[in-house]
Amino acid sequence: MLTTFRHILRSRSLLATLTVRELKARYRGSVLGFFWSLVNPLLLLGVYSFVFGMAFRPARGSAAEPYALFLICGLFPWIWVASSLNEGVVSLATHSGLIRKAAFPAELLPLVAVLGNGAHFLLALPILGAALAVGRALGYAVGGLSCLLLPVVVLLELALLSGLALGLAALYVHFKDLKDIVANLLTLFFFLTPILYSLEAIPVRALSLVVRVNPVTPFILAYQQLLFYGQLPGVTVWLQMLGAALAACALGGWVFHRLRDTLVEAV
Amino acid sequence: MSDAIRAEHLGKFFRRVSPGERLRTLKSALLERRRARPREGEAIAALEDVSFSVAKGEAFGVIGGNGSGKSTLLKVVAGILSPTSGSLEVAGRVAALIELGAGFHPEISGRENVFINGAILGLSRKEIAERYERIVEFSGLADFMEEPVKNYSSGMYVRLGFAVAIHTDPDILLVDEVLAVGDEAFAHRCLARIEEFLAAGRTLLLVSHSLALVEQYCDRVLWLDRGRARLIGPPRRVTDAYRQAVAEAEGEAHRQQQEEPLAEATRWGSQVAEIEAVRLQVGGEERYYLASGEPVTFELEVRAHEALADFVFGIALHTPRGVECWGTNTDLAGFVPERLEGSARIRLSCPSLRLAPGEYLVDAAVHSREGAPYDYRKGVIRFSVTAQDRGVGLYFPEHAWGADGGVRWRKPSA
Repeated sequence: MLTTFRHILRSRSLLATLTVRELKARYRGSVLGFFWSLVNPLLLLGVYSFVFGMAFRPARGSAAEPYALFLICGLFPWIWVASSLNEGVVSLATHSGLIRKAAFPAELLPLVAVLGNGAHFLLALPILGAALAVGRALGYAVGGLSCLLLPVVVLLELALLSGLALGLAALYVHFKDLKDIVANLLTLFFFLTPILYSLEAIPVRALSLVVRVNPVTPFILAYQQLLFYGQLPGVTVWLQMLGAALAACALGGWVFHRLRDTLVEAV
Repeated sequence: MSDAIRAEHLGKFFRRVSPGERLRTLKSALLERRRARPREGEAIAALEDVSFSVAKGEAFGVIGGNGSGKSTLLKVVAGILSPTSGSLEVAGRVAALIELGAGFHPEISGRENVFINGAILGLSRKEIAERYERIVEFSGLADFMEEPVKNYSSGMYVRLGFAVAIHTDPDILLVDEVLAVGDEAFAHRCLARIEEFLAAGRTLLLVSHSLALVEQYCDRVLWLDRGRARLIGPPRRVTDAYRQAVAEAEGEAHRQQQEEPLAEATRWGSQVAEIEAVRLQVGGEERYYLASGEPVTFELEVRAHEALADFVFGIALHTPRGVECWGTNTDLAGFVPERLEGSARIRLSCPSLRLAPGEYLVDAAVHSREGAPYDYRKGVIRFSVTAQDRGVGLYFPEHAWGADGGVRWRKPSA
């Protein structure tokens, strides 16, 4: 596992180059360029705000008011999770030319997917900031100094996603059904993560338990605490995040390391 | 002198995996302590027990037919594939000209791709920036550097890829057939660059189908045959042995062809006398390939169904395209027929058949002195001719070049 991360560290400048290439290539030739990366989150935000904030208003506790602001704090980090893993799982297969034809550190490819989408997330943060500022101006107690801890949560999420993407990408080379499994699990987990609702609003105890063991949950909670409630997340949340991030890196790094020699032939 | 590349008992197996077995393979790769050696029938050996070493500054060639493992060997040396067994040591920075422009992204400009490709090949941004001008000049694409690579022709693509790769300043250069692409002028520029590279004491590993190229540039050559090292040695010795083996294999194919019945259209005549078989003897044994200049004998086996007093035997050689090379008959040679009955063997011997390298077909005939055919068999056998060097035309006399005065060649021919 450590070998995998050593390789990554050694080729960090290549990793940066490749990530920039990915971002440049994606928006080359489109008029609005990277603004497209903001359209989808905003569209989702609008739709969910309308459906659950206005059209029908399920009981979700007063903790999640104003709803649009609550939603945006969980939705943006989640979009990073979903897009990173969906792209990460196929990253080795998509760029098979690179690893088959050059002596190239294959572990960079899943990370490029994570970092590229991470860049989109960071570029969308000003929107989030603006939304929080508007919320404060309207008299809601959102945001505050707790936002300064945001980079720590972002780094922990980066670690979680890197580990998951590494493992999934290496497995996908041997097991092509994984792409569809991941896509469907992500849809399922979107609803099993307290993004549309607050954790306290779940009426069924068993379901609440499922949501709590979801490894993405502590990250979303942390974002909501820091950004929306303006509080520091509790120790449990920090430990859960750290545990999930370390476990993902260990497992993903191990899987990748074990499969490394088989990748070039199988991809 | 120390070794740049040292391979000992190198082996590379590829697993032949059916979809149903994929999960089992995955499980074993994940969980078994050592990767299990594939079972019999499950693996394809691309390389088997290959040992060689390449000294620093040496130009080493690898030849062999398709599927002989040449490219696999190159990829193992380049570090793209890991060997299944054996050991490999490579000392120094390696640049592999295997697939040029790996990692070029079609949507972004040539300039940016130079930087990315350079980074993939292991250069830092600063190093690439220093070399950028030279890379562009070498590629001859100065006017196109701001264009997205997707607008490049395939030749331009390869030129830019080669330009980047050759400027990574490697200690060891691995070249796989890439010189076959691109136009003549660019190929010359690449070769000139490779010569400079060799003159600077760097190491070259050249995989090529062009035996002439290997003979010209390499100090030693490895011949791979179905994954095994068949011969390592001075270029001329190895390429000659390889040519001989290829010709033998072709000769075997010809011999099998001889046994197939000939189509009616290629045979005509009254059949009062019949040519039952035609054989080619080279240096006393029956075979259908020869080196130009070897002694040969054409032998006709003839059976006359009635006694004949008017008969001529003839032999003619032509190329598969129908160009006549040589023809003669017993009448032209002044033999006056007296009697032919029962079976007979007729031989035409040439102490030295100096045909140019290539394929030849033999016509054999028995006919009357006025030309009425009894049995005319067109293209009844075929054979191939090889030679040490190439030439055009049909005739291949003994020859040697000589020179005096202000002329000098890079390498005397071995």
